[in-house]
Amino acid sequence: MFNKQQNETMREAETIIGLSVKVKGDFTCQGNMVVEGEVDGTLKTHGDLIVGDKAKISANIEAKNATISGEVNGNLKIKGYLELSSTAKINGDIDVQSISIIKGAILNGQCQMKQGEEKIIKNKE
Amino acid sequence: MHVYIYDYYVTQKKYARTMADVETRLTDLGLNGKIIRIGVNQNIFSLVESELNRGIKTIIAVGNDFTIHKIINIMAGSKVPLGIIPIGKDNNKIAQSLGIEMDVLACNTISSRRIEILYLGQVNKNYFLTKSSIDSSGSTIEIDKDYSIEIKDRGEIEIINLAFKDDKIPENINVSPCDEKLELVIKTIGGKKFLSSKEYNHSIMPFKKLIIYNDNLKVLADNAGEIECPAEITISKKKINIIVGKDRNF
Repeated sequence: MFNKQQNETMREAETIIGLSVKVKGDFTCQGNMVVEGEVDGTLKTHGDLIVGDKAKISANIEAKNATISGEVNGNLKIKGYLELSSTAKINGDIDVQSISIIKGAILNGQCQMKQGEEKIIKNKE
Repeated sequence: MHVYIYDYYVTQKKYARTMADVETRLTDLGLNGKIIRIGVNQNIFSLVESELNRGIKTIIAVGNDFTIHKIINIMAGSKVPLGIIPIGKDNNKIAQSLGIEMDVLACNTISSRRIEILYLGQVNKNYFLTKSSIDSSGSTIEIDKDYSIEIKDRGEIEIINLAFKDDKIPENINVSPCDEKLELVIKTIGGKKFLSSKEYNHSIMPFKKLIIYNDNLKVLADNAGEIECPAEITISKKKINIIVGKDRNF
């Protein structure tokens, strides 16, 4: 289900927001983060972010790299690589360096790619 | 000089044999000292404080988690080392976490004099060495005044400085009383197995200061002391020197 990079992010996660937990407010973290529950507000990390398939985020997100499998209502600002898995639902704009969108993902918003590496892999099966 | 603080319950008849064995072993090891027996209604605070002011070498708590918790609250910030002789099978989780064996075997740990300087957590005006916990029912948490946490399912909120031996902490979380950090761990029952142990979902968050609100329940510190909510929890600047065992949990 998870690739090697994602497994490493989970193992090294400084913050884990589990299934039954709802965070309200401005959440900032230095290291890797895994979100399985709900976040309402803003979400910032200097590390990598994994959003699980049952997660619901109503927040603007900033992260180094991110893998989204759940629902995000807000804008995403990702410095590096963003992967939207088949269960991802994004309602917001994306500002990212490189992106991968798996077949089944829903994206309602604008996508702005930074100059340099512009790779969009659509409909990956 | 060593000062031994005997909790009231160790003077009961059922512990007479154990205490005789402990005292014999301490004599054999050359660790004799002054013995203070705490009465049922006696003020342990003034007794321990007066001994600290006399320039003693070591204070040794002879008892259980309740004994250790009280003495830690008096000794917080003191450079005098604290030793522990845990008596009885029940309520001795703090000693287990520190790698200290029960009864007579603890005398060997005292003799080895392996001292570690450990940070303490602070909940309101009380100190704790291991963890503070509260049931999640009716609890809300405010962290660093930036965000708050609501917990939907039944479970437990723990703020951990030193984990107990039987705590199931996720492998990626490094809990140590030497790192000047507290970990907020929220364990809820149910949900998926991944990212969690078999029975619980874990949420883990770093923090500097948090406040727990609960109208009905109290925070339990060190498996021993109860503190009223709202409970403000933070890492304390005060440390404690403790004689620890080889098989400690950090």
